[in-house]
Amino acid sequence: MSEKLTSKQLSKKITDEYMDEAFHAHELGKLIGYSTAISPVEIFVAHDIVPIYPENHAVANLTAKKGAELCSITENMGYTSHLCAYARSDMAYRKSGITVTKGIPEPDFFLACNAQCFTLTKWFQVLARKGNLPVFVFDTPEHIMDKKAREEIVKYCVLQLKELISFLEEITKKKFDYDRLREVMKYSAQSSILYKKFLDMAQYKPSPISIFDELIGMAIAVYRRGTQECVDYYQTLCDEIQAKVDQGIGVLPKEKEKYRLYWENLPVWFKFSDHAKLLGSYGGVILTSLYVHAWSFEFDLDKDPLVTLAENYVSRFSNSTIEDRVDMAMDLFKRYSMNSMIMFMNRSCKAVSFAVPTLKDILTKKTGIPALVFESDMGDQRFYAESQVRTRIEAYFETLDRLQAKTA
Amino acid sequence: MWDNLSLKEVVDYAKDPYPSIRQWIKDTGKKAVGSTFADVPEEVIYAFGFLPVTLMGTNKPLKKAPSHLPDNACSLARSNLELVLSYEGDLFDGFVLPQVCDTTQHLSDIWRINFPDKYVESYLAPRQADRPSARYWVKEEIERVMASLTKWSGKKITDADLNEAIKVHNENKALLKEIYEIKKKNPAALTNKEFFAMMKLSQQVDKVEFNKSLRKIKDSLKTENGKGYTDVVLVGITCDPPEIYDLFDEIKLNIVGDTLLVGTRYIQGVVSANANPIDALTERHFKRGFFTPIHDNVYKNFEEVKALYKETNAKAVIYVHIEFCESQEYDLPDLKAMIKAEGIPMHTLDTEYQTLSLSHVRTRLQAFFESLKGGTL
Repeated sequence: MSEKLTSKQLSKKITDEYMDEAFHAHELGKLIGYSTAISPVEIFVAHDIVPIYPENHAVANLTAKKGAELCSITENMGYTSHLCAYARSDMAYRKSGITVTKGIPEPDFFLACNAQCFTLTKWFQVLARKGNLPVFVFDTPEHIMDKKAREEIVKYCVLQLKELISFLEEITKKKFDYDRLREVMKYSAQSSILYKKFLDMAQYKPSPISIFDELIGMAIAVYRRGTQECVDYYQTLCDEIQAKVDQGIGVLPKEKEKYRLYWENLPVWFKFSDHAKLLGSYGGVILTSLYVHAWSFEFDLDKDPLVTLAENYVSRFSNSTIEDRVDMAMDLFKRYSMNSMIMFMNRSCKAVSFAVPTLKDILTKKTGIPALVFESDMGDQRFYAESQVRTRIEAYFETLDRLQAKTA
Repeated sequence: MWDNLSLKEVVDYAKDPYPSIRQWIKDTGKKAVGSTFADVPEEVIYAFGFLPVTLMGTNKPLKKAPSHLPDNACSLARSNLELVLSYEGDLFDGFVLPQVCDTTQHLSDIWRINFPDKYVESYLAPRQADRPSARYWVKEEIERVMASLTKWSGKKITDADLNEAIKVHNENKALLKEIYEIKKKNPAALTNKEFFAMMKLSQQVDKVEFNKSLRKIKDSLKTENGKGYTDVVLVGITCDPPEIYDLFDEIKLNIVGDTLLVGTRYIQGVVSANANPIDALTERHFKRGFFTPIHDNVYKNFEEVKALYKETNAKAVIYVHIEFCESQEYDLPDLKAMIKAEGIPMHTLDTEYQTLSLSHVRTRLQAFFESLKGGTL
């Protein structure tokens, strides 16, 4: 009997098989749909379409510090440096072929859900023009607080999901199978619960995981939702982390874990390990962000699958009001016992970042915790000022130390 | 207040309409409801007896807005926030703010949090416009905003109120269209700056009054061809500061067609008078021209520009790009390439709402048209 795979091995296996299928999709009689990371992929899975996320590919290149090189190529094509680094690096990859992976297969069509941003729609439009391919926009109006408005928004989204299904039926010449969708939803619901359980393990002291583990661990939730293997992966991951908890193993030893940090926004991908080391040297561990929780869906399997899909996708943090984002963050502050926060103003992500100054004001007022705010870019190193960020982090921890000494 | 304005006064009022709005509110006892670009159905606000005012930024210094919106936010969004935070906030009892792009995604939230004593409502414009669900959604949104205004004002409007508002707005657009036709054929009759000041002021003051001024101005215009004018098409969302039009006038450019929100896209907003008013307002949304922050096909924009260029026999296309407008920035390279491939001369102006010095714009514009005359483009 073969030995059980670790979560790391399982992640590699799932990813390899997924990419292998993607590169041979046409031979297998399947189409490739480019998708935004937050989009109802369950419909793709149920209809045997291979979802490909240019964002994920961009992350691989940006984490490997290819951002400046790739973004410059796109700027030479006439695009400004203000655009999202995912989009700029992807457009450059298409022109130059530069990638740290094997690349991604070409699309047959595009699905853009604007619950995370409208930028993706514009970016996909650019790609679609090159290949004269269709783009389906799943338009998710902001999840404003009024109850009746929310009901109307869900109705609008359900109508669009039906239009999406007709669109897929037309391009695949295949009838959509709602029973299969219900089956896929079961896997999605199970894996979402396990994914959330994994993230919530950050509430232990010391925390067995940091946001860096979560960012690695979220990949399968992004691109393999709706499958049994996704459920298996998160079950394995949860078991592994639980074993650490049982043994008292933390990211930092218990006596050294001083600052339990909240992070706002996407990560600075190319500073991933540097930030973990730097913060760790001050006794800091970033426990969570709303970003990693974006895939903690709560599907209600008793409802019409299209309704529960619409309700979940429209209410992601990036599509919620600032007041709702505050409530979501406050819930994490309380449950995870966080005592510090880093608010990242990400030039690449206007949709998320323009709420940050207001969010920071409200969160500091509600928690009484000072915040470190810094501006940079998630992928383009040219917008990252190394010494400035380092100095600010140092100054922030000095402030926290002073405050802690005062209250001691 | 705005019923007997001369052309010169229109320009002055358009530059700074707020003192007159302040006085009008004092005189009439009515309330002003502000909105930002684009597509908020101003007829609905008007039907409630409020003055709908489209906010178009301020040229005064940014003092407070930068702490709420960073410097890579579009200058119009920052400028509008500043206008209300620092300068003209007292004028408005409420706002209906559209969400059309990533910059405006959380704008209603920011305004609602910063102006707790005012009415702030969102208008969630659809960002897809090519499927039946979009029609459903526009209608829902118009009805939701109406219900919200009813709750706030305590007033319930009737179809007759809406139809009257539609009539006033349609008349305004018809007058602007007639004056535009005169201007296109008679560039010496009124300057670009004067004409676009009318367009701007129309979106900010009481139309019953302003329509009277427009009628008089229209009747007084002399049909003068003038000499040495070059016809051009202006493309983009908006063109600010207004001094840019001075540059066009200086080098005798005659704008004979445009796709601006403060131009043709506004006057394309005529609402059918022979239908259920809410259905008619909904239908209008889909009859307007290309707008880059809506999921729309850039080929459509290109076809519109090409058709305008041909119909008007213009000599060039001028594209106005607002710095940090991401939607424009994704579209522009392909649009440029398509226009270039068609052999249409095109010049791009990069603008910001807070720009005070236009010398670089003047130099580039002059150079472009000199080379155009020399046939080197």
